Amino acid sequence: MNEHDEVMCQVRESFSGLRMDMPVENVFARSRVRRRRRLSGLTAAAVAAAGAAAAITLTSGGLAPALSGSAPAPSGTPSLPSHGPAELAAFSVTNGPGDSTTLILYKGPKYPELDPAALREALARHGIPALVTVGTFCRSTPEASASLGQVVHPSTLAGGSAMVIDGQAMPSGTRLSIGYFQGHVRMALIEDGASLSCSSTSDQPAAHVTPSNTPIRGQQ
Amino acid sequence: MGQEQDEFADFYRASRDSCLRAVTAVVGDRELAEEQVAEAFTRAWMSWGKVRKHAAPRAWVVRTALNLGVSWWRRRHREVPLADHDAAAPACTSDGVDPALIAALRRLPARQREVLALRIFLDLDTETTAKVIGIAPGTVMAHLSRAVAALRRDLPPANTSSNATEVVR
Repeated sequence: MNEHDEVMCQVRESFSGLRMDMPVENVFARSRVRRRRRLSGLTAAAVAAAGAAAAITLTSGGLAPALSGSAPAPSGTPSLPSHGPAELAAFSVTNGPGDSTTLILYKGPKYPELDPAALREALARHGIPALVTVGTFCRSTPEASASLGQVVHPSTLAGGSAMVIDGQAMPSGTRLSIGYFQGHVRMALIEDGASLSCSSTSDQPAAHVTPSNTPIRGQQ
Repeated sequence: MGQEQDEFADFYRASRDSCLRAVTAVVGDRELAEEQVAEAFTRAWMSWGKVRKHAAPRAWVVRTALNLGVSWWRRRHREVPLADHDAAAPACTSDGVDPALIAALRRLPARQREVLALRIFLDLDTETTAKVIGIAPGTVMAHLSRAVAALRRDLPPANTSSNATEVVR
């Protein structure tokens, strides 16, 4: 085996600087969320139903979803428009499971374009700072040290996508970057005050911008 | 519960770096490896009663992380599909590690990378490596020899004389 040692030591040495910074508390938190979801019997369908129920308000013509691109009406204060066609919401933001927040993005031609400002404000009301962009996606340089996987737990639904967001797992000074594209959504954690690299494609950034001068379609 | 939690925390702190290095060596992408290792440790904690009795708990974590696969990670953490024509997430690099080494590792067959990673980063002996992967000990030796030979051809010679005394089982 001695003839292998030199190469194996070289490999070992090359990786010696690689460290996993995630604290064990994050592992416990992830498992708590998982167990809570199991215990509560929460399924993707249930999330969809809850989100849809929250997004729907009564109209005189029957059930109709909330206004386009807006957050769901607060419970107990349903809007009651007397006229007009039913409009569908592009998204909904609801409490739960547990201390988390559930964001649902609906898909399909019947749904309106996402209003990034409305989504950003809805998330902010749930204590989740976000940068929402449509047709482009932004990362910060340097990237946030925390892992997105500790914050967002997505699942696909028949009518869209649900993301359970653990706002408490977001380190202070970070925001959730949400890039909404036709057909998919890209997400990342970004550092406040850091430079942003924004791209309209899946490849290299198309523009390099600073937080104070952000020529992108979206809202900080 | 408190004692189990402390025990797992000790295991996690002692194992996380080596598990990350092993998975990074196999998948060739640090960010991807970190996500998969984090998920594997979460599953390890959720099944700690079983994992703590495993012959090589760190190997259980690495195998679980590798079994999660790239598609799992893309599905969960990088892109959320809203239609059937999703664009693929861009490939990431493994920062901090010599790119030439990453490239050389990527040229190896997956099984050779796995054997190499378990031997180098988890210090598993041949028998345990064979059990963890589910192959014969002789096959482990064959994979290891081929992997080392290929890396020796591809990599520049090491100039780390201080490492010469380090012994890998």
